[in-house]
Amino acid sequence: MQATATGNATGNATGTTVDMLVDVAGLGAYGPGGEAVAALAVAAVIGTLMLTNTALAGPWAKRKITAAFTDRIAVNRVGPFGLLIIVADAVRLLSKELIVPEGVDRPAWDLAPLVIASSALLGFAVIPFGSGLQLADPETGLAYVFAVASIASLGLIMAGYASNNKYSFMGGLRAIAQNLAYEIPLVITGASVVLFTGSLQMSEIVAAQTAPLFELGPVAIPSWYAFVNPFAFVLFLVANMAEIGRNPFDIPEAPTEIVAGYQTEYSSVYFVLVYLGEFIHIFLGGAIITTVFLGGPAGPVLPGIVWFMVKIWGIFLLTQWARSAIPRVRIDQLISIGWKGMLVLSFANLVLTAVIVGVIAG
Amino acid sequence: MSLEEPEPDDALAAVGETDEGLDYDALAALLGDRLLDREQHVNAEGFVVRPDLSCLTAQQYGDRYESIYHLRKYDEPTHELSVVVPSPTDDPHNESANPVYRTADWHEREAYDLVGIEYEDHPDLRRILLPETWQGHPLSGDFDGEEPQIVTLREHANPLQEDHRGDDADTMFVNIGPHHPATHGVLHIKTVLDGEQIADLEPDIGYLHRCEEQMCEQGTYRHQIMPYPDRWDYISAGILNEWAYARAAEDLADIDVPKYAQVVRTMSAELCRIAAHMLAAGTFALDVIGDFTATFMYAVQQREQVQNILEDLTGQRLMFNYLRLGGVAWDIPEPRDEFFEKIRDYLDDLPENVAEFHNLLTSNEILQIRTVDTGVLPPEEARSYGATGPVARGSGIDYDLRRDDPYGYYPELDWDVVTEPGCDNFARLLVRLREVEESARIIEQCVDLLEDWPEDEREIQSNVPRTLRPDPDTEIYRAVEAAKGELGIYIRSDGTDKPARFKIRSPCFSNLQTLPVMSEGEYVPDMIASLGSLDIVLGEVDR
Repeated sequence: MQATATGNATGNATGTTVDMLVDVAGLGAYGPGGEAVAALAVAAVIGTLMLTNTALAGPWAKRKITAAFTDRIAVNRVGPFGLLIIVADAVRLLSKELIVPEGVDRPAWDLAPLVIASSALLGFAVIPFGSGLQLADPETGLAYVFAVASIASLGLIMAGYASNNKYSFMGGLRAIAQNLAYEIPLVITGASVVLFTGSLQMSEIVAAQTAPLFELGPVAIPSWYAFVNPFAFVLFLVANMAEIGRNPFDIPEAPTEIVAGYQTEYSSVYFVLVYLGEFIHIFLGGAIITTVFLGGPAGPVLPGIVWFMVKIWGIFLLTQWARSAIPRVRIDQLISIGWKGMLVLSFANLVLTAVIVGVIAG
Repeated sequence: MSLEEPEPDDALAAVGETDEGLDYDALAALLGDRLLDREQHVNAEGFVVRPDLSCLTAQQYGDRYESIYHLRKYDEPTHELSVVVPSPTDDPHNESANPVYRTADWHEREAYDLVGIEYEDHPDLRRILLPETWQGHPLSGDFDGEEPQIVTLREHANPLQEDHRGDDADTMFVNIGPHHPATHGVLHIKTVLDGEQIADLEPDIGYLHRCEEQMCEQGTYRHQIMPYPDRWDYISAGILNEWAYARAAEDLADIDVPKYAQVVRTMSAELCRIAAHMLAAGTFALDVIGDFTATFMYAVQQREQVQNILEDLTGQRLMFNYLRLGGVAWDIPEPRDEFFEKIRDYLDDLPENVAEFHNLLTSNEILQIRTVDTGVLPPEEARSYGATGPVARGSGIDYDLRRDDPYGYYPELDWDVVTEPGCDNFARLLVRLREVEESARIIEQCVDLLEDWPEDEREIQSNVPRTLRPDPDTEIYRAVEAAKGELGIYIRSDGTDKPARFKIRSPCFSNLQTLPVMSEGEYVPDMIASLGSLDIVLGEVDR
């Protein structure tokens, strides 16, 4: 998985961790091979970091957070604060029988969990984590991250269609409808930020947010796009909720309606991959929001990477909050919110931003 | 329906009685729009009326089968009428009441299934509780219980067959349940979908049929039947159910209940109602919001506190078995002050907790767009299907047996019947939340009364014979307002210490029949929400 990420992303890397590693370790002498080794090493670091967050800390934290919202205690018996539940869960899930239902469309059914899990992981290739950790920084960074994130939709559709189950099928159909309706507002809102920055490059987008917006006494408010254009921030946040399929937009799985949607038939390792894919997707969504709207790794005192993680976890917390408290909308309502509301608003935002940017430039 | 010529009961007869006999026109005027038809018979004129069908009991005597239609008015539930339709043993068949009362549909199917009476012109006379391959009718006299039953699904049945209506139909058949996260038990809903919309829907029940009626027929009146009602609606509504049996049996055997015991009954029953309604609101939230919701956990916490109180009172958390014929099992636990303090503490916090539900649920815009004007059940339909309880009151039908057919200590207390005119899922949720507040009012008054009750007058049970043997061939139908609606019990005695026929009129059974009306043409999520708002318990539907 990580090797693929490297292959895709190293082509036009400039000023990333890979270059740093090549210089420091003197790998440049080995030509492209040396660069590939360095890229693999960095990809391994980033992959491990994100998997630690999503696969290990994520599910545990989710239990604790949901428990806090619903007035419960959650896991507390296995290890300190129930942390070892992660190990127990891993053993439990991996040792379960992998049930392959009769009549599933084999190659597609097997590939879908891989596509769901890996597509989101690919997105992290261009995310600047701060403290100099970034695998690749192509000029098309933002477009790339949207592109790979939406590959997950393909995975959902494959899973839904190949499962030979009506609930899965409905889940898959809902996933298509939902992603079509929300991907466009998401990208258009992202584009309004690009108008400010004038670049799709992730490092440029982060750099553009460092200047102070205004001084509030001793505190300088940075020009994060969440402050510069709060309207776009809210739009993006909502569209992102739909993109990652969380409440109030968890319609493709909607457990009380269509059992578990596209993941109904998956068990054991495949289920782990699908579940993991969802978590990585939530974190990728958080990473995009952090980079584009919350100044990336910027923050006082602590190292950049810590700030970056804090912000991602903040977004994660928000999704769990929504999950505990906000009712799910109906699929037709979701579609009409998407096409009639979000799309119009996102274009309005884009035009408005273009005018403002034009006036300032002029 | 020509067999259903009711002899006018006392109230009606007094109006139309003249010196020359009965004044039929005056009677007709009195019946108003309930009068469906007038017929000329040899000896008198007959009326075809429509009160509202409450329950149908079918049974077999030595020489005949009987279908008893228990009719009562929604506006005046004490106006009751039982129409007895006999049919011969060798070829039991009756005319179906289905064209007049839609609720007769399932009730007659059940009578056919269990007793074996055939109803002519019934649109869909199939088995309802037992598997369709079942041989014989278990409550009929000639049923051989020793004969092994082979229960299989029909072979080579193509469930998609009826779904393909014509070549260009593009509908999809989906089995929702019996194992599904939102069916609240083992309910199977055969659904035909047109995209996400429901083209056709049929609830398939009977998965939890436990022969409760027959088990009650094998228990003695005095002690052996009382534990069963706890197991019908097992969502902590136990004491409400027990009261249904207690009321029927006490009226049958002419047993008085001391006032003190009535107050204790009223208090404990309303505690059960709070617990049941809280869980109903919580599971409804679960259906609309999704899993892991705060509201569900908050609701369960409320129920938990009520259960703690009930545990102190009855020693049980779910299967209370607290009521006895003629009173209750035992008095308020000592020290009484502590117990009352516990209830008061709970009631003090309740308004705040209910406000939190309003905050999280009813005032939430997303929940409103999901539930307002979905699952619409017009009042006429609700009446025709015999819907009762919060489902009827959510459709604006002002019907509550606690007030309209008073029992217990309710008439002396100050409380209101809650109705909402919305007819939709939202209205039913509102009714439940508001009824919790009304129940709290009732409990508070009961606690006040009990606290000041003189110590030497705390009579918890009246004198009841050790063995009850009601007179042969006495029949009775009595109902109480249980958590889900009118829970009625029909008992016929044959002179022994066990009932000869014990029939349960389950509110959920009638309420569930309205699901197709609410859901056809709506989206799948709305159907799930409607099902949640009906608040059925399969233990009570299937019995």
